[in-house]
Amino acid sequence: MGIIHGEEMVLNIGPQHPSTHGVLRLKVRTDGEVVSDIYPVIGYLHRCFEKHCENVTYEQVIPYTDRCDYVASMNNNLGYAITVEELMGIEVPEKVEYIRIIMAEFNRIASHLLALGTYGLDVGAFTPFLYMFRDRERILDMFELICGARLLYNYIWVGGVSHDLPKGFVETAYGFLDYFEPQVKEYNNLLTYNKIFIERTADVGVMPPDVAISYGVTGPNLRGSGVKWDIRKDEPYSIYNKFDFEVPVGKGELGTVGDCWDRYWVRMREIEESVKILRQALKALPKGGDVHQAIPKKIRPPKGSIYKRTESPRGDLAYYITSDGTPKPYRLKMRSPAFTSISVLNEISRGWMLSDVIAILGSLDIVLGEIDR
Amino acid sequence: MTDDRDKLISEVVEKALQGDMDAINNIEDRVTRSKAKAALHKAKKAAKAVESSASDANEDKTETSPKAEQTIHQKMAILIEEKESGSVISQEGEEEACIYIKPESWESLAPILRNDDAMDFDSLQCITGMDMGEGILESRYNFHSMKLRHAIEIRIAVPMEKPDIYSIEQIWRIGDWFEREVYDMYGIIFTGHRNLKRMLLPDDWEGWPLRKDYETPQSYHGITVPKVKEEWE
Amino acid sequence: MTVDALYHWLNETFPFLSGNEILIVLAILIPSVALFMVIAVNALVLVYAERKVSAFMQDRVGPMGQGVGLHAGKWGLLQTVADALKLISKEDIIPRLADRKLFIMAPFVIFVGAFIAVIALPFGETIIIADMNIGIFYILAVSSFGVIGLILAGWSSNNKWSLYGGMRSAAQIISYEIPAGLSLITVIMLTETLSMQGIIQYQSGGLFSWIVFSSPFSFIAFIVYFIAAIAETNRTPFDIPEAESELVGGFHTEYSGMRWSFFFLSEYANMLVVCGVAVTGFLGGWQSPIPGYFNTAGWSIFWFISKILFLVFVMMWVRWTFPRLRVDQLMDICWKYLLPIALFNIFGVGIWTLIFG
Repeated sequence: MGIIHGEEMVLNIGPQHPSTHGVLRLKVRTDGEVVSDIYPVIGYLHRCFEKHCENVTYEQVIPYTDRCDYVASMNNNLGYAITVEELMGIEVPEKVEYIRIIMAEFNRIASHLLALGTYGLDVGAFTPFLYMFRDRERILDMFELICGARLLYNYIWVGGVSHDLPKGFVETAYGFLDYFEPQVKEYNNLLTYNKIFIERTADVGVMPPDVAISYGVTGPNLRGSGVKWDIRKDEPYSIYNKFDFEVPVGKGELGTVGDCWDRYWVRMREIEESVKILRQALKALPKGGDVHQAIPKKIRPPKGSIYKRTESPRGDLAYYITSDGTPKPYRLKMRSPAFTSISVLNEISRGWMLSDVIAILGSLDIVLGEIDR
Repeated sequence: MTDDRDKLISEVVEKALQGDMDAINNIEDRVTRSKAKAALHKAKKAAKAVESSASDANEDKTETSPKAEQTIHQKMAILIEEKESGSVISQEGEEEACIYIKPESWESLAPILRNDDAMDFDSLQCITGMDMGEGILESRYNFHSMKLRHAIEIRIAVPMEKPDIYSIEQIWRIGDWFEREVYDMYGIIFTGHRNLKRMLLPDDWEGWPLRKDYETPQSYHGITVPKVKEEWE
Repeated sequence: MTVDALYHWLNETFPFLSGNEILIVLAILIPSVALFMVIAVNALVLVYAERKVSAFMQDRVGPMGQGVGLHAGKWGLLQTVADALKLISKEDIIPRLADRKLFIMAPFVIFVGAFIAVIALPFGETIIIADMNIGIFYILAVSSFGVIGLILAGWSSNNKWSLYGGMRSAAQIISYEIPAGLSLITVIMLTETLSMQGIIQYQSGGLFSWIVFSSPFSFIAFIVYFIAAIAETNRTPFDIPEAESELVGGFHTEYSGMRWSFFFLSEYANMLVVCGVAVTGFLGGWQSPIPGYFNTAGWSIFWFISKILFLVFVMMWVRWTFPRLRVDQLMDICWKYLLPIALFNIFGVGIWTLIFG
């Protein structure tokens, strides 16, 4: 496997570790404190999602998709529902579209808060973690209002959503947004522009854009490297083309373009943009309408295959569904963004120290449920 | 039964050679349909061998009347055929928009897909393995170009006895992990891959799980699967 | 000084034992036990304070209870007692491949290092266990003793992670002693004595005769000393040796139960020592801020302890606000920033004193 230097040590950041965001094993070869090679071992959370999907009907697949990326379940559901609807040619009513966008964007905020909070925890800042989780709890309370579940919703179905919005939801949502917008400033003061945090993350783990594209990295990781690519703007699905929002792109403000700080900052800015989208969506939400009207009685898509991409908080979530005319999918492949994000870990952490590996891993924002499926 | 099937297949192949693909696509039975498609491929190759020029690839279109606007797959099929003649097996219509490539020409075609200015596919989105039944495994690649903003799907079909496909992990680096996953689940061997090991399953697992004829093993390292599956749904 | 006084008192009270060596032993033992109690209570109080302070800063409540015997006592006051009982009753696990003797010795070495420094802290005009005329120099010297314990802990655990932690912390503590010592030199220059009581006597006369306010250079020296003190006690932002999210616990990963609690006892004792030295050197020690009032023996202890507690609170505040520094950035701060500033300070204080008397 190459030349072994005198002091090389093989270290195991094992499946059980406080900061690997799940059961991930990293075989790290270090030369003193400097890392020379990382080999990630995944598969500890493999639950045969794709094989299950071949044995259950299209409606029954939705709870399974929840459990892949358990931090951003709404987006998983949405991606799947949109894919099947395009395969079948179903048009959903406008109210359903708005509800879906609202839920997806709230989940985006919740997922980014978790990513940023745990990232702060990885580099040693304990307090922002708790502040961000406190705000995330309020979002989860809202989800509990609409569908009864805090984390795995089974809410967005093919052709509609499972429950209509309860009374008082829009007021609660506005209340949350009014409370939350000034909080982002507090997080910026506490963590984003903190000198020590900048020392730990700026110029660390730089990912050049061509490396990112070659490794299939998408989402905030790619935007942190300066590439302006957001599926909500470039290949809009659902009704995203009706909303006015910006796509934040890393500019190397406090270091090189594509370092950990840029990825962190892109996520922080995306939270603000999601708040913008939510305000517009809540304002334009149609009052009346039946959310169940377009849900088909039996889902039997025509024969064919489709590959459809949506933007989940981690990147480019895509479903490849092959149907053979029966009520069960013939083949369902989920292309998860975290899978590609973690594949680039080896390339960008060579030459950094062990503490930096933890910082880089945190900035990639992975969820093992999605990687292993 | 097989006689009837063979007759049906030859009928639909005849119709398809005249340009009517609906007959094949309307066959309910998946196995028969794929057999029919295979027979169609053979017939078309034979027909091409009789005729001479490669520019007749345009007649492989499924529409009987030429469209004013070409789909991206049609455009790419023409380009690919120009660079590597004979590599495109078929390129299907709206319902299954894709390009079938011969496994042998994949090795020389892949760098062209990456580097050519008109194609410029710098992003490999996904590699999906498929078990098409009847001993055929497929590997389906979804490509996308960040600059030119177009996307295509390429499919390569290989028989189960010799499932070798050239590995493109040196060209698109994400191919490394995607191909390992397809190998893990289907057993397709990607030749030239530097580290083709199992990815999601333990290294000593036996069998290729996502194949349609997969039997779950009775036990693994002493952990047994219960035989009586009451109240399992 | 208290040991001497106690020896004489015992001599008079028990004339039949006079001249016997037992008297010396008793005279030393009694204050030591008392001091051990002080350190134990200090740890209890500080652990509880840390949990509550961190909880309130993080928008939560921390340990809470409904009353004595109910859950954790009113406002969670009995929480630390419950923790101590739990730790005492835990199984004593020593890894099979660990170096047994060193493994057992390490916590004691660290504790001894903290303990022998506390004996020189002046709690009042006559309340000090060992009033040496080289007091501050003695404390600086013995506070390095703990480093040996850390290295022993990291090595003897037979664990790569502990080894990393032990190495890092040794480098850190040894490096940060230098800016700390240099800052204290500014104090010594002004007071012209190494004795703790002498330094405090120099600062008598109310709030504005404290050394920290005497010149801007002394103020900077105080800040430098405080930062170095945080680094010496292994607290965030310098807590790389115990960085939980990176090394799962650093040098004390393999310790459990009472042995582990010794590490934490000595961390809090160390905090007491460094804050005590900062208070003595810069904030006037047991002197009351208002000259002439509140300066009886009881009030002296009150002033000393409250000043220490204030500095400890600032340490906790810093801990829960800032992220952690990487090991090489830590070293950078010490050698490239604190050390030149401390050297420059010495000149500054000297010139200031020369000009302004």
